[in-house]
Amino acid sequence: MSQTTAPAQPDVLAVAARRRMRFPVALRNPLAITGTAIIVIWLLLALLAPMISPADPLAQDFDRLQPPSAAHLFGTDQLGRDVLSRVLDGARVSIILPLLLVVSSLFVGTIAGSIAGYFGKVADEVIMRIADLVFAFPTIILAMVIAASLGPSLTNAVIAMLIVSWPAYARVTRSLVVVASRSEYVVAGRLLGNSPLTSLGKDILPNIIAPVVVLATLDVGTAILLLAGLSFLGLGAVPPTPDWGAMVSDGVQNFSSWWISVFPGLAILTVVLAFNFLGDALRDGLDPRTADAVKGRAL
Amino acid sequence: MLSPLRRIVGIVGIAVVATLGITACSAGSSDSSSSGGKSVVVDSSFDLKTADPNREYETTGSIVAKALYETLLTFKGDDVTKPIDGLASYEMNADNTVMTLTMADGHVFSDGSPVTVDDAVFSLQRVQGIKGNPSFLLEGITVAKTSDTTLTLTSATPNPALPYILPNPALGVVNKKVVEENGGTATDADGAEAYLNGASAGSGPYMLESFDVASQVVFTKNPKYTGDAPAYDRVVLRNVQGPTQKLNIQAGESQVALDLNPDQVAEVGSSDVTVLSSPSRYMIFLLLNQDPSVSAITSNPDFLKAVKAGIDYNKIVDLAGDGSVQPGGFIPSLFVGAIDASDGNQHDAAAAKAALASSGYKGEDVTLNFPNDITVQGLSLQSVAESVQAQLKEVGINIVLAPAPVATELDAYRGGKETVGLWYWGPDFPDPSNYLAFTPGELVGLRAGWAAGADSTVTDLANAAKAAVSTDERQSAYAALQKAQNASGPFVPLLQPAQNVVTSKSITAVSLNPVWTIDLAGIK
Repeated sequence: MSQTTAPAQPDVLAVAARRRMRFPVALRNPLAITGTAIIVIWLLLALLAPMISPADPLAQDFDRLQPPSAAHLFGTDQLGRDVLSRVLDGARVSIILPLLLVVSSLFVGTIAGSIAGYFGKVADEVIMRIADLVFAFPTIILAMVIAASLGPSLTNAVIAMLIVSWPAYARVTRSLVVVASRSEYVVAGRLLGNSPLTSLGKDILPNIIAPVVVLATLDVGTAILLLAGLSFLGLGAVPPTPDWGAMVSDGVQNFSSWWISVFPGLAILTVVLAFNFLGDALRDGLDPRTADAVKGRAL
Repeated sequence: MLSPLRRIVGIVGIAVVATLGITACSAGSSDSSSSGGKSVVVDSSFDLKTADPNREYETTGSIVAKALYETLLTFKGDDVTKPIDGLASYEMNADNTVMTLTMADGHVFSDGSPVTVDDAVFSLQRVQGIKGNPSFLLEGITVAKTSDTTLTLTSATPNPALPYILPNPALGVVNKKVVEENGGTATDADGAEAYLNGASAGSGPYMLESFDVASQVVFTKNPKYTGDAPAYDRVVLRNVQGPTQKLNIQAGESQVALDLNPDQVAEVGSSDVTVLSSPSRYMIFLLLNQDPSVSAITSNPDFLKAVKAGIDYNKIVDLAGDGSVQPGGFIPSLFVGAIDASDGNQHDAAAAKAALASSGYKGEDVTLNFPNDITVQGLSLQSVAESVQAQLKEVGINIVLAPAPVATELDAYRGGKETVGLWYWGPDFPDPSNYLAFTPGELVGLRAGWAAGADSTVTDLANAAKAAVSTDERQSAYAALQKAQNASGPFVPLLQPAQNVVTSKSITAVSLNPVWTIDLAGIK
């Protein structure tokens, strides 16, 4: 990492660089390695699903409600579809959409929070009161209300989830920006003539983004569960799109055919756990209070 | 310091658990083997509102009313094609406008007083007067006492369905004297419901012992009942959901389970229980909107033909499990006028593709709306929709599913705004005239954008069916109507799901009927 591009603010970049350096360190934690491995495997499975699926996830070609066997490793569902193929194909909806969602809430929330924290006054009041409004409702209930009023579809479910999830990022970003914008290096930058945009983008954001990223990583699990929950309730994925939440819901009608819901349920479990492992490790690694301990053990 | 306190808490906890355990045991044993004779436990998923027969119009309400009250006419077993004498015998005049009922001798209420013509007139007028859910059954009918043993039901227009309406448990005859003493009238000022929820005032095989709309209804034998005495002295009808019903019947906690879905039925071992599967009265159908402003695609006659030939009806019947059937037309197989599945729509992929080619359809998405939060006899409409979608895809029709909660979707359906809809129809009474709603300009016809005058062949046949008098005439007229509808109409009858009743091996007979589901007195 170069440290000589901006001689005017050496300490700023040094701090930023040191923080960035901790990402790989955090990843040496065994839990983080497990988590990352599971995530990578699932992402590969999602990308390769059309090639490795034993059957068309939508084809109702087989006998109904067949228990797992050599022909159908995960059995078949109530319409005679191969559950394994549906779980694999479902990864594309159930992992990738929540990932996109978290990235977009991170984006929206960070921008809103930065504006609120940096400019303060009216902007702060307006943005944070809107955020409070969203916080005042239980997340899942609010998401259900929005998704139900927009009509069931994956797009609408993601919009609903975005509406309920950005305020968390806005709140965290705002408090970090408020503190950082009073730091001497930021004030110095402003005195040197940096515009607010430069100040925010170059001086402040690189120094506060780590905790927000940790929050996002921890949030991926929640987002997967929320989307699965909405689909379970019939407000997310529209049938016959394979989606893990909707597949668990299919199994409710057929309790004894356990394989219909257990396999997508296990898929949700492993992915959510993996993201939580990774998030925990990142948090420990990036938190100044635990970082040294982590570093000591890992090195 | 904390340990004595902890010990006390522990002892109290053990005591509470022990008490609960004992209570649970005693409750369990009193349900399954009552001290005062044989008793039977029936599990049902309740939609119960009242035990007042003249107010109820729910599935569970009908079971309750059927056990407590008798009706003027009734059906024998599950045959709803031929009404038979109940408390009275009937005669219809030549043009089906006046029905004369002659009271049979010898029936008595549970308090010992005889069932008279006054009780019958009062009960029917009460159904009309209190303007409850079943009042529509007697809409446009004048009830009058004509002698000490006869009454007449007069309607302005011919009403050949009346003999099929009268067996409905909602038209059960109540003891006029008792009901009037407890605030009952034949007007909407009637105040006897609270009384009738605590005690029965009928001549049926059972009397009401206790009644709770949310948990259970207990019946005891009516010693004054004049028909064949029921085999069980006491019946407990409990509110239990499907999955628990399955566990209860397997564990011997209950003897009859009414709401198992086809897959649950397949899972219970037939070595422990007896499964009775028969077609239910519900008809699941697809509608394709004929209003070109709603959809230019579905209103195209060739596209309609392609859909009808493209659906694999046998696959849908398989999905619904044993006992379900494909109705030949929109009238379920149980009723007068029903036609055989072999006379109905047939799967023919080649014909579907040919019709599709001449329709000019170019693979546009066609939306299929359906309620995703309701099940018909335990079968979810979503499964049917997904199956239809996959079958039509094979002949080249791209269906996009648009599920919605029934509360939301009902408006679009009733307003005739759906392009393709998947719904079901439950008859109000077991008569084919119920299904004239599926003709142009009528209730369900309009929901499919089938305006009056849209199909004169079908309309003429509907009028002929309405005018038919004798059972034979009606049978052939309704058959012709359905065949014409199958040929050109917007409705595609898909399925009659099964009615499954599971009983323990100790039960040798149950008496099922599409109108009142189960006659509790018929459990042997």
